[in-house]
Parts: sequence; structure tokens; C-alpha cells
Amino acid sequence: MKTIQTEVPEQLYQKAVALVKEGWFRDEKDIFSEAIRRFLDTHQPELMEKFIRDDVDWGLHGHD
Amino acid sequence: MVMIKSKIRVVCDAGPIIHLDELDCLGLLTDFQEILISDTIWKEIKRYRPLDLKRSDLSFTLSPVKYPISEILLTICRIFSLDAGETEALAIMENNPNTVFLTDDASARLVAKQMGFKVHGTIGILVRSIRRGQMKPEEVISIIKKIPIKSTLHIKPSLIEEVIFRIKKEFKI
Repeated sequence: MKTIQTEVPEQLYQKAVALVKEGWFRDEKDIFSEAIRRFLDTHQPELMEKFIRDDVDWGLHGHD
Repeated sequence: MVMIKSKIRVVCDAGPIIHLDELDCLGLLTDFQEILISDTIWKEIKRYRPLDLKRSDLSFTLSPVKYPISEILLTICRIFSLDAGETEALAIMENNPNTVFLTDDASARLVAKQMGFKVHGTIGILVRSIRRGQMKPEEVISIIKKIPIKSTLHIKPSLIEEVIFRIKKEFKI
């Protein structure tokens, strides 16, 4: 496991704290790990690049 | 030159509104006939960028109907970790098939594409503004260069360079 130090907006942190208090997660660390895992699962670099290139094609040559 | 407004109606996620506003380009959305926004996204924008919704030149419309979210759509959205706003936006799309979905979220975009919807993001709107006569290529290039410092839209530097290269090539700059 890697330990990182970062800053998060107060509101986000308070939401994470609330979830822990309600017993959904063991601690805030679990929430942030899960959030990062999900984000990385759904944000594949190749896909994001393809979407940007599609956007440029549409922007330059679209008909709408 | 007087531009005739495009006939396109769009369903907008929070991302493009936030990113265009950060780049002082929210006005580009004036080209769209109507900008449909779901209840959750409306609340999100109202909370973080309340002035955006008050702009009289933009046709923001809170979706008049809270469309039911089918079990299939809900399951797909869960699998792809889409949030409530994105899920509602896709439900609006399902019921308004001739609209275009505007989002910068890769997974929301993937789901929308698979559902057969037209979907574009902030970069598309910026580049399109040249074709629509809203901005000059040089202006758009200057704005795209500022994306890493002025906005929370995350694009790797080499891809930004590629976008700029393509605009320069297209317009022989």
C-alpha cells in the first residue's frame, strides 16, 4: 500500500465522514480508495483520447 | 455577420457548463436552441455556479419532466459508476432522441454512445465555435492553451498540442 497526502474540499470530506459515521465504510481511507479505483476503472486514457479526437472532428467538420 | 441560431437542442451535464464558464466561454452555448438540464444537475450548478443559470442569453431549461429511469438504464449507469445527474441526463436523452448530450465525463460519454446518442464535450463546443462563426481559430487556440491553468478539464498536454495542431492545419495558420 502506498501512503499519499492530499487536500480535498471540505464538503467532500464531510460527506465521507458522514458515510463512515453511518457505518457504510470502515474509515475515510476506504472511501477514497474506492473512489479512485472506480474513477480509474472508468477513465481509460485511450478512450478519453478518442473522445477528444471525435470532438475535434465534429467541431471542424460536423453539420450541426 | 449575424448568425442564425442552430436548431440543436442539447441535454447538458454539469461538466461542460463548469468548464466553459471557467474559460469565459459559456456564451458559446447561446448557439443551441435549448439547453435541457436535469433536476440534480440544475441543483449542482445552482449550488456551485449560481450566476450561470441566471444568464438571460442562455436558454437553460430545467427538464419539465422527471423521466422515469428504466431498470436497464439504472443498471448500466451503476456498472459504469455514473452519478445521479448523469443518469437523469441519459433518461432525458432516452425520451428526447433528437437532442445532443454534452458531457466531459468519459464513462457517461461511453454509455451514451453505446445507447446510440450523439454526444460531445467542451473541446467539441470550442472547436465548433469556429465553424459556427462564434470565434476565430486564433481565439479558440488561445483558449485551448489556457485549459490546464484556467479550468478543471483534465486533458494531457500532448493531446492539447494535437488539438491545436489540427486547428492550425485546418485553417492554415
